[in-house]
Amino acid sequence: MLNHILRRLLQAVLVLALVALLIFLMLRVVPGNPIATMMGEHVDPAVIERMTSELGLDQPITVQFFRYILDAMKGDFGTSYSMGKPVDGLIRTAFPNTLILALCAALFAWVMGIICGTVSAVRKNSVLDRLFMGFSLLGVSVPVFMAAMMLQYVFAYHLHWLDISGVKNWKSFILPAVALGWNSAGSISRLVRSTLLEILQADYIDTARAKGRGQAGVLIFHAMRNAMLPVVTMMALQLSSLLSGAVITESIFAINGIGRLAVQAIEGRDIPLLQGTALFSTALVILGNLAADLLYGVLDPRIRKES
Amino acid sequence: MKQMKKTFALLLFVALALSVFPVLADEPGEGVLRTAILYDISTMDVTKTTDDYMIPMNVFDRLFETRMIDGMSQAVGSLCTDYSVSEDGLKYDFVLREGVVFSNGSPLTASDVQYSFERLLKENRSNTDVALEVAGAEALVNGESGTLAGFAITDDTHFSVTLSAPNAGFIAELSAPFMSVVDAETMAGAKQFGTDPADTIGSGPYIITEWVSNDHYTLVYNPLYWGEEPSVKKLIVSVIPDAGTQDLMFRNGELDIIDLQGLDSAIVESSYKLLFPERIVSTPKVGLTYLAINSGNEYLSDVRVRKAIGMALDVESIITGIYFDNAVRENGIIPTGIWGHNDALPGFSYDPDGARALLSEAGYKDGDVRFELAQDNTAGSNIRLVYDAVSDYLAAVGIRAEVRSYDHSSWLDLRNSGAMDAFVARWGMDYNDPANIMYTFFGSPANTAVRSLNYADTGIMERVSAARAIVDDGERQAEYRALEQKIIGEDAAWIPMFEELHLYCLGDRVASFTPHWAGFTDFYIIDVVLK
Amino acid sequence: MPDNDPFRKKENVSGQAGDRLPEPDGFRSIVKRLAGENKLAVFSFAVILLFVLAAVLAPVLTPYTEKQMDLRHRLSPPSPEHLFGTDEGGRDILTRMLFGSRVSLLIGVVPSLVSMLLGAALGIVSGYAGGKTDTVIMRLADLMLAFPSMLLAMVIMYTLGGGLMNIFLTLSLVNWAGVARVVRSETLRIIKTEYVEAARITGVPGFRIMLRHILPNCVPTMLVLFTLNIPSSILTESSLSFLGLGIQPPDASWGLMVNTGRQFLYSAPWLSLIPSAAIMAIVLAFNFLGDGLADVLDPYRKNQ
Repeated sequence: MLNHILRRLLQAVLVLALVALLIFLMLRVVPGNPIATMMGEHVDPAVIERMTSELGLDQPITVQFFRYILDAMKGDFGTSYSMGKPVDGLIRTAFPNTLILALCAALFAWVMGIICGTVSAVRKNSVLDRLFMGFSLLGVSVPVFMAAMMLQYVFAYHLHWLDISGVKNWKSFILPAVALGWNSAGSISRLVRSTLLEILQADYIDTARAKGRGQAGVLIFHAMRNAMLPVVTMMALQLSSLLSGAVITESIFAINGIGRLAVQAIEGRDIPLLQGTALFSTALVILGNLAADLLYGVLDPRIRKES
Repeated sequence: MKQMKKTFALLLFVALALSVFPVLADEPGEGVLRTAILYDISTMDVTKTTDDYMIPMNVFDRLFETRMIDGMSQAVGSLCTDYSVSEDGLKYDFVLREGVVFSNGSPLTASDVQYSFERLLKENRSNTDVALEVAGAEALVNGESGTLAGFAITDDTHFSVTLSAPNAGFIAELSAPFMSVVDAETMAGAKQFGTDPADTIGSGPYIITEWVSNDHYTLVYNPLYWGEEPSVKKLIVSVIPDAGTQDLMFRNGELDIIDLQGLDSAIVESSYKLLFPERIVSTPKVGLTYLAINSGNEYLSDVRVRKAIGMALDVESIITGIYFDNAVRENGIIPTGIWGHNDALPGFSYDPDGARALLSEAGYKDGDVRFELAQDNTAGSNIRLVYDAVSDYLAAVGIRAEVRSYDHSSWLDLRNSGAMDAFVARWGMDYNDPANIMYTFFGSPANTAVRSLNYADTGIMERVSAARAIVDDGERQAEYRALEQKIIGEDAAWIPMFEELHLYCLGDRVASFTPHWAGFTDFYIIDVVLK
Repeated sequence: MPDNDPFRKKENVSGQAGDRLPEPDGFRSIVKRLAGENKLAVFSFAVILLFVLAAVLAPVLTPYTEKQMDLRHRLSPPSPEHLFGTDEGGRDILTRMLFGSRVSLLIGVVPSLVSMLLGAALGIVSGYAGGKTDTVIMRLADLMLAFPSMLLAMVIMYTLGGGLMNIFLTLSLVNWAGVARVVRSETLRIIKTEYVEAARITGVPGFRIMLRHILPNCVPTMLVLFTLNIPSSILTESSLSFLGLGIQPPDASWGLMVNTGRQFLYSAPWLSLIPSAAIMAIVLAFNFLGDGLADVLDPYRKNQ
């Protein structure tokens, strides 16, 4: 097991290094001068030239890359062009918001997904099933910005239950989390339903039933346990999409998160900030996948033994 | 069945949990004003920005401020209480206001003003043009000298500035936000000036207390401020990147002033003007929306084609159709509201047949003339429509001008390279002097190239540059009029279109609001009066 | 595509038991079973056909052109002249929807096809060859999957600039890795069957095995993945357009229409609601179709 974890960790580091290189190279071929963008309308071309060399952007790419990696290892991701602040500080303030948002969204998705999926599977073709599956299908079909705007309109503007945007307290995360998590909730509930349906028809369930266990017992002790495998994988994968899907939700609800930083970096052609946010999010996703992997190992004894 | 009951119970619980939330958003406190901006500011240091003036305007003071007095904008003394100019227009003697202190208690002296001038030049980022006019500025920028030779201090409240050439607009220029005065003593220990509120100390009516990136910043009243105590004691500016969200927040009472320029004018017309007719405040956005055409382009180098373009555009219909008349037609370079503006310029009149005739005279048939209308994809919805309308009007006279969208950086890059065919943009005035627009666009070959105009007449450009130094107002005005006539009337070097109105809507907590004289998004908080 | 080889069919009909793989189905039989089992999927297919037809016939179906402005009729609500109303430039929304459906459908289909072909090829090779080839391809896939997909799409779109071709490229790049993984595991399963073992032992060249034996057995999975990738591509494009990184105006795609119409949501809701509804409809249709296909094609599920 330990060996497995170590190997996966090593792989993760390797992937991260490659991602860093990839992002770095991609951003160097982008047309447009970041300094010109940063300085805005009323600026002298000579100043742009001077600043370009001050920031080392006229150096060869290899030099720039190694300098960047060395600095990054010391925790210095450079200074944002567009915001004039150190990138690591910006990420540090933004990250808690994204994390809370993604976790709330995941919680919503997991709870709703499992409840809806289970009920739908048990009461197949009932009104509840139709209702929940409608909810799920809508979730996977509605663009996230549409969901966000509708929620904003109904619950914040119309009903006045919650604030329209910004982060003031924990309540500020409710609408964004639902908007963001709906899609995942849909995917998970559909998966739970189909997996459960399959398992409920399997022989050992029949055996369990024959042994006289009630339906609740059957579900909890046998079916759910087996259904958890694909569901857990899906849940972990969803976390990745939640973290990156947060881009749009964060923009609409004006939450200062990693996704919005990335958007801002793109708008301002802010290479250090984009590099920082991209690397950071990638690291998060890799960690999420790693966690899913390990959890999978814990849940499935076969895999545990294999490794 | 058990599961179903449980599920119902859970759903019920969720529904209940949702419904017991404390209902309304928090009420704002006494003296608090709440507004929103679409993009966060990038810095609080005015030497590093040409866009984010809100904090510099309110946290710092300048020697002069441009204020609206009886409908006219003019420079009035702020930190400077009196000044005189020498006969030759070169030497200015200033008297500083007595007893002014910065918000940390440090007193204001003439050396702080000198420090501020020199800092602008040493930082050498942007907005250096005014300070560069002072004698010895070049030497300071080049590092040949450590101090600004043209700046002479008599005592703590008296100093003089000598220019390298006379400039009639100098006092107006001193009121520009980037001429803010900082404290030399504080700056010595302020490592994070412009990024950390604690280090960003000015003498203005407000103190910046916090700036949370991408979220909000807060200004509170500076009790040491030398002037009158304003009505607003605290301002919270939230960063709300979506105009639609701002719209909702305002209607929900979460904002006290909304800047309507982020919204399409059709929304303003169809909802705001009906819902809150008395609460809309409008001010000219002093500046010019223009169609730039590149005289270096294959087709556009022919003056007849350029004139045909001017005649092909029905600007009046654009103003009515897109802006619902919240704009005025402009025919020259110097926009309405700026000293030297000429109301009598004839301009281009809408004449599609005349345009066709000119094109065929130039030897072009239908569809021969084609170029690209480059659009910055960060442009607002009104400007996008203007692009589409321009393209349509040109198509109607047989010019194929396709709109192509670029991201902001590529767009700037292409424009700065001088190779952009044509584009629609707006120039906002920084201070009330015609040089701010004339010189920027037509003052030198480099200036016209960087805006992809590539105006060819170097003789005219020299005159534009020289016009800055004419001290006599009448003479200067006559020269600008002649130049405008030549550049627009004869050469059709660019197509002026209109000056927009900037609309705001006030929430019910605001009694009155006077926007910035030039219609900036940023405003003086002292100009807001709460109920 | 699954072929209609009568020999195969006969084999299929004979239904030999044992470790034999279920044979790939003929197209007709898929449709037949789909029609029998899942009416919703058939209906969805019809809806999709309708959309395709509308996209193809766009210029015939409307008297207006896509970019024609009419400033006197800005934001007019739906009326007999303009069934879906007009947008902020007075352009007919129905017309823009019709032309936009071309872009949106292409964005759904092209990158899904490319990523499916690429992913399948790499997945089969990876699974069949094993060893170093497998490691390299799968690490590459890991690399792609490690990126948050939206951020990856944003960075690529940003690097390449907006526009249709670049969206194709971006979405293909983002999606191939997922396909490759699934197809690889499918391949690993197929390889273990006696059927392929036998072919291997008798010295059938690897390329032939992959093409003749493995690929056809992966087709059902690929078809399902393809159908399910389409809606996700459409949704991703709409999100990219939301951020200004997708299709660039004055071209129209549904995603872009929602985004430009978004600020009118409360004053002229038809601007964004109609294209959103269209996106939802097409995404739902593809999802239903994909589900139906999965039910019919999955060799394990269909026997239940």
